[in-house]
Amino acid sequence: MYEVFEHTADLGIRAEAPTLGLLLTDAARGLVSVLTGDLAQIRPSHEEHLVIPGIDPVWLLQDWLAELLAAFDVRRMLFCEFDVAVDGQGVSATIRGEPYDPARHRLAHEIKAITLHELDVRQIGPLWQATFIVDI
Amino acid sequence: MTTPRQNPSASADRGFDGPLERVDECTWRIPKSFRPGMLVDGLIFTDERLIPQLRGDRAPEQVANVACLPGIQTASLAMPDIHWGYGFCIGGVCATDPAAGGVVSPGGVGYDINCGVRLLRTNLTLADVQPVLEPLINQLIRDIPVGVGQGGRHVFSPAELRQLMQEGVPFLGRQGFATADDIACIEAEGCIADAVPGWVSDRALARGADQCGTVGAGNHFIEVQVVDRVADARTAAAFGLHAGQICVLIHSGSRGLGYQVCDDALRSLRDAPAKYGFALPDRQLVCAPVDSPEGRHYLGAMRAAANYAFCNRQLLAWQVREVFARIFGRSWETLGMTLLYDVAHNMAKLETHTVAGGSREVCVHRKGATRAFPAGHPDVPERYRELGQPVIIPGDMGRASWVLVGGPRSLERSFGTTCHGAGRCLSRTAATKAARGRNIQQELATSGIVARCRSREGLAEEQPLAYKDVDIVVEAVHRAGLSSKVARLRPLGVVKG
Repeated sequence: MYEVFEHTADLGIRAEAPTLGLLLTDAARGLVSVLTGDLAQIRPSHEEHLVIPGIDPVWLLQDWLAELLAAFDVRRMLFCEFDVAVDGQGVSATIRGEPYDPARHRLAHEIKAITLHELDVRQIGPLWQATFIVDI
Repeated sequence: MTTPRQNPSASADRGFDGPLERVDECTWRIPKSFRPGMLVDGLIFTDERLIPQLRGDRAPEQVANVACLPGIQTASLAMPDIHWGYGFCIGGVCATDPAAGGVVSPGGVGYDINCGVRLLRTNLTLADVQPVLEPLINQLIRDIPVGVGQGGRHVFSPAELRQLMQEGVPFLGRQGFATADDIACIEAEGCIADAVPGWVSDRALARGADQCGTVGAGNHFIEVQVVDRVADARTAAAFGLHAGQICVLIHSGSRGLGYQVCDDALRSLRDAPAKYGFALPDRQLVCAPVDSPEGRHYLGAMRAAANYAFCNRQLLAWQVREVFARIFGRSWETLGMTLLYDVAHNMAKLETHTVAGGSREVCVHRKGATRAFPAGHPDVPERYRELGQPVIIPGDMGRASWVLVGGPRSLERSFGTTCHGAGRCLSRTAATKAARGRNIQQELATSGIVARCRSREGLAEEQPLAYKDVDIVVEAVHRAGLSSKVARLRPLGVVKG
């Protein structure tokens, strides 16, 4: 689950999930929804594997989202499905999507970066929560 | 070192209820006693009418956070277009002294390094443009890459990009995309010295390969405007401006290349607070001493990205000239499309200022704030030196923008700085809600403004009411002596992402 929250200049995303892997999945869905406005327009026709080393959940979140952002900015790839596993080595993820097609894909926002302002990952009871603000 | 209070978890609807002490007609203070860790006061230049908006978000808290940066001098400053940013507020100014352990903070520049504006004059009048306004704006959005995912017509190899970042706009001059007159009218003549393109990552080069000469999205735009009021006839005449004249305002920055340079720097600084013993109230304020390997590395890469941004605005201006030439059937030279000035509003620069009665080289961070040097300053282009540096203030797409000139008190009060725009007063989500059931494009058309936007979200989020009244913002910096009013321009047509 994710929600977009208000920020004067930019946009914030708050995600909540029972595991860290699912939290990163929901955070990614939140990111792509801000970028495209609608994940449903992306077909999961192309699959890639992504590995992000690290142990600090906050930096894993930022690096994970930054990779997805760079995939669009550098290679024009849009992803919509994320199977994420997190262990003591870092993130291992299978991601599915397709190349950006201006004829079929509507884009909503240019996301410059995942900022560090109020960037947070924490476990509260049975839930993991993530907060991040993207620079628009 | 005392550990400043950590920010609570994100809460967008919380405003600022801390102390704001009135110092004079247009200055309010957050005393350094507000929170442990503040090394200097916060000082906000504003207008009484803007105080409710000032208290409406968390920007003043960010002014206090910046006051905790090691080596900060005089005060943590903010301009009247202040609003909640990330790390620094938007409209924030901070000068640190390297000789006193002063730091450079990439967050004090922002992701869009050398985001800035430039104003092109023309010799056209309202009567010339009005009949062709719609085809003109349509041609601008057709021919000039604008919006998310739009690559440009210029694609640079990594080697070419490195050369472009080293040499700045003169590199484009040799390729026929900039004149000597253009170069003379750009801050630092379009080339910040001591850039180190070799410190720009491969990913940044890849992000920037096809984006030089593209507008981007968010608050970036190209606007066709008319000078509707001259406030200072002598300076306006010297700037080549007169009532009824058509101008073109361009707002963009360093695109994906700059965003990545900032992102790379922040990643490399993750361990810096522990290494240097800094306790910071916000992760985004992460920093390193100016005179440290990390500080030098960031500044070298930042300057390279800044030169890319000057080139981006130059290529945009060149494309605007081509569109005008096509629509009016005359060369851009015949149309008088010369550059008034190009100035950055996201930058860190080593500058010499008077601090506590002595001359010191300080690292001035301007995050959504414009350099505004007064008459006589050696860094003002020679043709403007007797008057002061031109300052260009984009307002919103429905009301106005301004040309100002560096003010007599800017050096003593704000390290030679003024505001950079109107400043947002509505969040993007609040602006979208406020646009429901309305047709912003039609509303603007009713006011005689032709607006073209690539995305559905763009016009709603950037609608005029999302911004403060730029006339009030400009009045505040004028009265504070930071910059003086020269001419007011109103929009006729806007192209946005």
